[in-house]
Amino acid sequence: MSTIPVTVLTGYLGAGKTTLLNRILSENHGRKYAVIVNEFGEIGIDNDLIVDADEEVFEMSNGCICCTVRGDLIRIIEGLMKRKDGFDAIIIETTGLADPAPVAQTFFVDDDVRARASLDAIVTVVDTRHVLARLEDSHEAEEQIAFADVILLNKTDLVTEQALEEVRQRVRAINGQARRHETQNCVVPLEEVLERGAFDLDRILEIEPNFLSEDDHEHDDAITSVSLHADAPIRPELFMPWLRNLTAEQGQDILRLKGVLSFPGEEERYVVQGVHMLLDGNHQRPWKPDEARVSRMVFIGRNLDPVALRAGFDACAARAA
Amino acid sequence: MMATAVRDEALVHRYGCHVVLDAEPTALLWRGTTAAVALGDGSVRWIDDGDGTRTVPVHAGAILSACRHPDEDGIVTGGDDGRVCHVSPDGAVVELGHFARKWVEHLVASPASGLIVAGVGKEVIAWTRGATAPSHRYAVAATVGGLALDGKGKRLGVAHYGGATLLYGTNSGSGRIALAWVGSHLACTMSPDGRYLLTALQETGLHGWQLPELRDMRMSGYAAKTRSFSWDRKGRWLATSGDAQAILWPFEGETGPMGKPPLMLAERKGTLVTQVAFHPKDDMLAVGYSDGVIVLARLADQHVLRVDNVDAYVTVLGWNDAGTRLGWGGEDGRIGILDMDARA
Repeated sequence: MSTIPVTVLTGYLGAGKTTLLNRILSENHGRKYAVIVNEFGEIGIDNDLIVDADEEVFEMSNGCICCTVRGDLIRIIEGLMKRKDGFDAIIIETTGLADPAPVAQTFFVDDDVRARASLDAIVTVVDTRHVLARLEDSHEAEEQIAFADVILLNKTDLVTEQALEEVRQRVRAINGQARRHETQNCVVPLEEVLERGAFDLDRILEIEPNFLSEDDHEHDDAITSVSLHADAPIRPELFMPWLRNLTAEQGQDILRLKGVLSFPGEEERYVVQGVHMLLDGNHQRPWKPDEARVSRMVFIGRNLDPVALRAGFDACAARAA
Repeated sequence: MMATAVRDEALVHRYGCHVVLDAEPTALLWRGTTAAVALGDGSVRWIDDGDGTRTVPVHAGAILSACRHPDEDGIVTGGDDGRVCHVSPDGAVVELGHFARKWVEHLVASPASGLIVAGVGKEVIAWTRGATAPSHRYAVAATVGGLALDGKGKRLGVAHYGGATLLYGTNSGSGRIALAWVGSHLACTMSPDGRYLLTALQETGLHGWQLPELRDMRMSGYAAKTRSFSWDRKGRWLATSGDAQAILWPFEGETGPMGKPPLMLAERKGTLVTQVAFHPKDDMLAVGYSDGVIVLARLADQHVLRVDNVDAYVTVLGWNDAGTRLGWGGEDGRIGILDMDARA
């Protein structure tokens, strides 16, 4: 049974989430969506199937304070699935102040949700006019950018080219691997936003190689991305314990991680992804004949030590004796 | 051409029938030998003996919850359209309540007290006997995860995040007992004598409270969330879903299951038990699995009989009061009915 793709729309208050949502609902006539909005959300969303969520964030009883899930989403997704054939995909609009981690983690933690739905992409709408100020005073604004698979730098018509360039650099420093679009009124081809399969990680191979070279360390607490690659195959018996230990020890600081790995003698790509301390990995598809068998990983988080991460990852690579 | 070999000895082929519906069953309730099936398309399908069926459209979206009406006249349904409806076998539909933009995810009722109780978001709504509009309501701190009544239909357990709340559901000004325990508490059940409240946890396993002492119990080791509970006719065993076998906890004696191992029945590796239902008159448990298999398991010798292979996650399972019919259904909309009279 194929799973229903889920798109999460985040963005700080007033960034343009509802504008994007209405654009999706009015333009994409071929698809039927179930839309999950928060109960305090803006009105005026035109769709047959709208469900009010109450953003109930639950701590898991495993004692890990960063393992939080959205209890309401578990219920809602399960309830929606009883309708069968009523819709093709789900869109979740979060409140402007929401931390995306519990939403993402819901799709890792609950077996029933995993069996029925899969997180397609987290789309973050950024108000280019106000984002730099928000990043100074709001933890959530930074997390929303860090978690994104797709970022819309919106309202570009309201800023100067110089200000826009500053935003670009800052956003890129936080999250170098998300696909970015510069928009006015959230006008963007919808295929760039929806059903991207961003969590399928294919795009990880397209990452710009140099984004880390910008030495942007003006913010001590800033979220950064670290990108790693290895040409030699990765040995799973070294890699798995390394990654488990890393997320156990630094999971609070690691917001997201993604990897596509080549294991020795295996014909299939192994993909891994994580949110904080939660990890999920599986064999995805065979390597294509013309595809370079390069293993890549991306970490997005706080206090990341690129040198240590690189050394740890390199140590997992098989070397000729 | 030779007749196709019978794939298995499933009892339904000899002593039962299938009815194919085009929506997912979300509840199956009996009234005599007539089954009422609540469906994901918002309708109720009445299936009479001899498989004549009648369809009654009730809700705009999916029916999320249903229970038998306490007056034994039809069923009560709750939908994702926010409505609570009384559906009679003759096709009449009476709206008992409408909660705009809310989902009615939980419904329980008791013939003993006449009470109907619905869980709607963070509210518990009660209808006293005969009421066709809500009689009173209680607010709880988080969304209702499950509801349970005791045998008298008065003591009401409400499961939610952070534990459960105990009330007297027939009393609008009821006092409350807060039962605190970490985690998100979902489906719940109360022993018929009102001595135990048990809840299923999001992270699998059960939590229980012995009443009135409020002694905590933990039952762990499940592979998945428990969604289905069934008490045997004497209240000695509680059968539960959520593992590759049915897990039965002993409730005889002063301390119930505390310190005792459960009885494990009808294991099928690689699958999950999704539904359990005790026979109302025999020491026999019907078990439904995630791969669509239905079996009957006898407690005395743990003998297991195959009833059906549906090929779809079993979502509903239940006996009629006389124990002469067993009904079940899978996600694919196929309903099975076993006629125990025919077997005799």
